[in-house]
Amino acid sequence: MDKNKVLIVDDEEVILMLYKEELEEEGYDVITTSDGYKLLEKIDTEKPDLVLLDIKMAEYNGLDLLQDIRKQFYNIPVILCSAYSSFKGDLKSIAADYYVVKSSDLSELKQKIKMALEGRHSAE
Amino acid sequence: MIEENPNEIKSAEIIVGIPSYNEADLISYPTKIASEGLIKYFGDKNSVIINCDNHSADGTKEAFMGTPTEVPKVYLSTPPGVKGKGNNFKNLFRKACELSAEAIVVVDADLKSITPRWIKNLGQPLFEDFGFVAPLYVRHKYDGTITNNIAYPMLRSIYGRRVRQPIGGDFGFSGNLSEIYLKQNMWESAISQFGIDIWMTTTAITNNISICQSFMGRPKIHKPKDPSAALGPMFSQVVGTIFDLMIQDTDFWKEIKWSKPTAIFGFGLGEIEMPPAVDVNVERLHQNFLEGMNKHSELLGLLLSEDIYKKLNEIKTLSFTNFELPANLWAMILTHFAVAYKNKVVERTNIMEALIPLYFGRTCSFVLESEPMTTQQAEEMIEEQCIIFERDKPYLLKKWLE
Repeated sequence: MDKNKVLIVDDEEVILMLYKEELEEEGYDVITTSDGYKLLEKIDTEKPDLVLLDIKMAEYNGLDLLQDIRKQFYNIPVILCSAYSSFKGDLKSIAADYYVVKSSDLSELKQKIKMALEGRHSAE
Repeated sequence: MIEENPNEIKSAEIIVGIPSYNEADLISYPTKIASEGLIKYFGDKNSVIINCDNHSADGTKEAFMGTPTEVPKVYLSTPPGVKGKGNNFKNLFRKACELSAEAIVVVDADLKSITPRWIKNLGQPLFEDFGFVAPLYVRHKYDGTITNNIAYPMLRSIYGRRVRQPIGGDFGFSGNLSEIYLKQNMWESAISQFGIDIWMTTTAITNNISICQSFMGRPKIHKPKDPSAALGPMFSQVVGTIFDLMIQDTDFWKEIKWSKPTAIFGFGLGEIEMPPAVDVNVERLHQNFLEGMNKHSELLGLLLSEDIYKKLNEIKTLSFTNFELPANLWAMILTHFAVAYKNKVVERTNIMEALIPLYFGRTCSFVLESEPMTTQQAEEMIEEQCIIFERDKPYLLKKWLE
């Protein structure tokens, strides 16, 4: 069976490295980007099974990127990751599959990735 | 169907429907705003406003037809003695098909917070890629307790779609979906009454209609209802319809795991207005729970598993200040009631009657727990409850298929 491909979008190099390493250990094929401008192009060419999207990036607003993703790739599961829980209050965040507050313990994130992928495959 | 069509309207591209029963005092306002919205945002299309009424005796028809509007109006009614919101919708579906409408927007007759933008946001997606539009508005944490504790978590966990206001009362749907609704063979009593909203949302999902949620910008302000006082037959009709649809659509939902978000339309409306407070008599909810537990004790023992029944009796002994009927237990209770309803363990009306005090208990617990919370924190609590329902779905399926 093919590995599920996860695209991580974050502007912090250390987060990209940490998540990539941890999720590869879980058996995912992981690709990363910090370029919000070319995100839609990246999704189109790489066809990830799931996107992990940071909300507060220096040059991009993850919630706006989420709206762009939803217009073009409605069925891709998107998990919002943020150091802040306050963005849960923004109604735009409900267009995401899940919202995870960043932590050094990635167990919640891993669980939500599993749920989002199971949900996607069960609906196919 | 009774009809008054003074302008002899024979076709319309977009309809605003306003279902009513004895709403003479309030119907003029949404009628006027609907007309403004249609002119402002759909001025290039033929439009009509239709009041679908239950032959109200309070002058609803006169109030509606007498409201000055630029858009023509049509009055429809069920025959004298025939009541029910669903019956009003059935007349609207028929008329929409007859007028070959492309888009139908429905708003409640008691709406006080409607703006012309609501008409745009519920109608415009229907001229794009969507066939069904549900509303998305900020509600007070105690408003919509059937939605928060039953309709939303059950729809989401069973059918895998997150539609936050599945019984919001304000909807948009395509002419094509109107035809689908009319062809369904489930026009039974609960659907002809208050079961209509959840039936419309669920039927859109199970017919694979593209769905979006439209952000309304303003909260829904209408005649508020204290859940401890104003439940009436609505509870049994909504929940009974959910159970009926689970029976009908088992093949559709049995393979679905977890849930998917639903597309959003209409952001960028500026600052969000917060909803007015809703008063809840929480002591009465508690009292109703205790009385109902005693009244239906024997039946509850029959409908629920031994451990759940035991837990409920333990909860009964908690003082009011410590009272808690947790979400995981509530999810299990609904599972057992749904299965009992399907298997007709006893008369279905008795099953629904026994569920009502437990719903009061869950609502009481929800109000007590969310009392110090902000609207957003209460919303997160509802989301956590939904995850519990989704997590427990394999148990529901196992029991359902036994």
